Amino acid sequence: MGGITGLMMALAVAGALLAVSLKNVLHAIFGLALTLLAVAGLFAVLGSPFVATMQVLIYVGGITVAMVFAVMLSTVVQQHAAESPWRRAGAAVVAVGFAVGVGLVVIGAGLPDGPPPPMIADAWSVKQVGHSLLADYNVVFEALSVILLLAIIGAIVISRRDPEETPS
Amino acid sequence: MSHANIAVATLLAPLIAFAIALIGFRRKHDIAAGIAILGGLVSLVGSIWLLLDPAPQPELITAPWFEVGGFKLAFGALLDGRTLLMAAVVGVITFCVMVYSLGYMKDDPGKGRFFAFLALFEWSMLSFSYAPNLLQGFIFWELVGLASFLLIGFWYHKPSAVAAAKKAFIMTRIGDVGMFVGLILLFGDVGTLDILQIGGIFGAEGLPEGLSAGRVELIAGLLFLGVMGKSAQFPLHTWLPDAMEGPTPVSALLHSATMVAAGVFLFARFHELFMDAHGLMTIVLAIAVFTAILSSTMAMAANDMKKILAFSSISQLGFMVMALAAGSLFAGLFHLMTHALFKALLFLTAGAYIHHYGTNDIVSIGRAGGRKMRVTTLGLFAGGFALAGVPIFAGFWSKEAILGALHHDGYMVFLVGAYLAAFMTAYYTFRMIFLIVLPNADSDAVVEEPAGAQHGDHGHEHHGPDKAPLPMRLPIIVLSIGAVIAGLPFFGDAVGGLLGRADEVHHAGISEMILPVAIVLVGIALAWLDFGARKAPQRGIVAWFPPLEKALKNRWYIDAFYRKTVIRLTNAFARLMYGAETRGFDGAGDLIADGTLRAGRGTARSHTGRLPIFVGTAVAILAIVSLSVALG
Amino acid sequence: MSLEHFILLSLVLFSLGLYAVMARRNLIAILIGIELMLNAASLNFMAFNRFLPVEDPTVGQLFVLFIIGLAAAEVAIALSIILIVYRERKRIDVDDINELRG
Repeated sequence: MGGITGLMMALAVAGALLAVSLKNVLHAIFGLALTLLAVAGLFAVLGSPFVATMQVLIYVGGITVAMVFAVMLSTVVQQHAAESPWRRAGAAVVAVGFAVGVGLVVIGAGLPDGPPPPMIADAWSVKQVGHSLLADYNVVFEALSVILLLAIIGAIVISRRDPEETPS
Repeated sequence: MSHANIAVATLLAPLIAFAIALIGFRRKHDIAAGIAILGGLVSLVGSIWLLLDPAPQPELITAPWFEVGGFKLAFGALLDGRTLLMAAVVGVITFCVMVYSLGYMKDDPGKGRFFAFLALFEWSMLSFSYAPNLLQGFIFWELVGLASFLLIGFWYHKPSAVAAAKKAFIMTRIGDVGMFVGLILLFGDVGTLDILQIGGIFGAEGLPEGLSAGRVELIAGLLFLGVMGKSAQFPLHTWLPDAMEGPTPVSALLHSATMVAAGVFLFARFHELFMDAHGLMTIVLAIAVFTAILSSTMAMAANDMKKILAFSSISQLGFMVMALAAGSLFAGLFHLMTHALFKALLFLTAGAYIHHYGTNDIVSIGRAGGRKMRVTTLGLFAGGFALAGVPIFAGFWSKEAILGALHHDGYMVFLVGAYLAAFMTAYYTFRMIFLIVLPNADSDAVVEEPAGAQHGDHGHEHHGPDKAPLPMRLPIIVLSIGAVIAGLPFFGDAVGGLLGRADEVHHAGISEMILPVAIVLVGIALAWLDFGARKAPQRGIVAWFPPLEKALKNRWYIDAFYRKTVIRLTNAFARLMYGAETRGFDGAGDLIADGTLRAGRGTARSHTGRLPIFVGTAVAILAIVSLSVALG
Repeated sequence: MSLEHFILLSLVLFSLGLYAVMARRNLIAILIGIELMLNAASLNFMAFNRFLPVEDPTVGQLFVLFIIGLAAAEVAIALSIILIVYRERKRIDVDDINELRG
């Protein structure tokens, strides 16, 4: 198990590196997809195949595809001008600083070492997740539905063309 | 009817009349006039009743007003000799003037407003007269001033009237400030606002405990400033002649009989206090005598009938102050009473002449046939004889009392001054009478304003019969009777007894009367020679000294002096303050506003609107914060 | 593989996403960065859910599910906005959209 996990971690980082550095946005999206898949694998390792499946379905299958659509609709594949080195350097400084800072905090926090506690089958089953979703966290579930509805409506409203713009 | 009920009715009737007339019937003039007269009638009956039925001890009829820290204040009426006399005078004269105004103001477009203001004045004056404590007294003292302002400036489209009203208000204000400070000091020292109590404290032998002589003099001096302002004593006298801009009924009521008498009444009210300030009383005597002489001289050269009477009022008020300062409460208040009667009478006759002949100029009135107005001319005689001090008539007795009070060691110079003023009074009074009654078209008399010169409601020459309308004649007749009999010893004794000063009523013997009567006769004789005789030049002795005449006509240039000094200083100061405000305070405020705006715009530039910068900044700060938390 | 490894991984992913948001000009590239950050957070939740003794292990999973759902909604809106910007300006450069400037 350890090796697969390590490989997926590496793939996640590699995909992220690709996603943030490639000039061609389409290629960057592919890098993102790689990362998302690796993270899905990590979810499975962390005991929830269900969430991993959801990740693949929604993130990789939905969101990534939508982004590709957007790229195609905007026909901007190549950047007009590269980002200035100053900008990249500044961002790098902030990001690295952030990482180092928080990293130090994390390391110094003394997280528990050692193997994870054993998994009780029933508590970790998909059935339990479904039960929890629809019983204890019902309200949040419904709220999320509303949010999705609003997002759909919002997206339609925002991107609607004014009537006089469309020819027929 | 209990005294309490009558007092309440007397005080409230004019207030209710004012409110109803002002709110409801400003346009319906006749109803407003009727309501005001009704109120005046109630007050007349009430004040006379209370006067004729005095209780042996002063009565206090009050209702509680408010209480502050254990200190209770009431409002209502104090009924003692002084207040009863003053209120009765106010009631009688106001009612006469109201009836008179029915005729005089008949065609005036503001008639309703006029009667409402008369009612307001009566309420204020009565509430002031009956005031049981200093606070009520002061409040209504100020309200009286307000009523005067409203009535002097009644014809508000006349700039001269508005200016006169402002001048009157501001000048009396100067006196009022002094008075207010004096009242505060007084309250601080004696701890009570109740007038009876204050009278008791100062009436006792010697000075009240805890107060030095200097302190008493200071308080008295400050209070006297109020007297000077309201009763037009030098140097705060210049507003009164200008106040003649108001309608003649106003002059008759306010500026001869009642409002200006309020200052004298204040003096009388605090007589015990003033008598403890010996040094000040000498100064006051000097001021009073000087005022009496000064304004008598101005009356000798004036041709405008109302101005003559105004100067005369200033002079007579000086006499009243003289009497009070010399120590005789009786003489001062007795003269107040008789003066109210005959001076109001004289103003009413002046109004009748003005109304009929359209001019204030006595020469024009005379030449236009003034003496043909019989009742009016009879009133002129009655009032004039009383004013001059002709024996039997009212003014003679009261002036007698005043001169008698001045027969003291050390007052000789004042007595001489008083005699001089009395002489001049007789002279100018009969100058006025002769010019009206014995006109001579060929004499050298100068016509300053021809008949009919004043247009409008009160200026056109009437081409009807030569008599004043009935509402104007009736009060003249009533007051003429008063001017004749009010001075007789019977009344003198009654007033003296009412005031509790029977000892001051001194029945002068014949020998004592010789000098005053002689002086009056000399004055009349001189006036006859100058104005009355067949071929008299009708120019007067003052005409022999043209610079003197010019000075008198310009009121001794006192007004000009004030204009050049006080007013100019005040205006400069006002401009300075205005500059400080607009450039200073406003400028500072603008500067702050401007600076804030600019600072805001400057800092707003940090909002670049660029998303990456925004995110970067937020994260950077988050990182810093968390680091500092983590590292302690 | 201890908890610390997972957390550090999510930190690295988050920082990379942060870098993308700050450095990139293309709006879609910025969106990629946002998604990376969201995933890093999800990873955190799952890791803690697994390694810490919790009495209800479904909570962490549900949280991640919600994050995924919200990400979907957010991407929908973001993409519509990007389309509009493209319509207006003919390009999707983040430096163009600075109307909220002070």
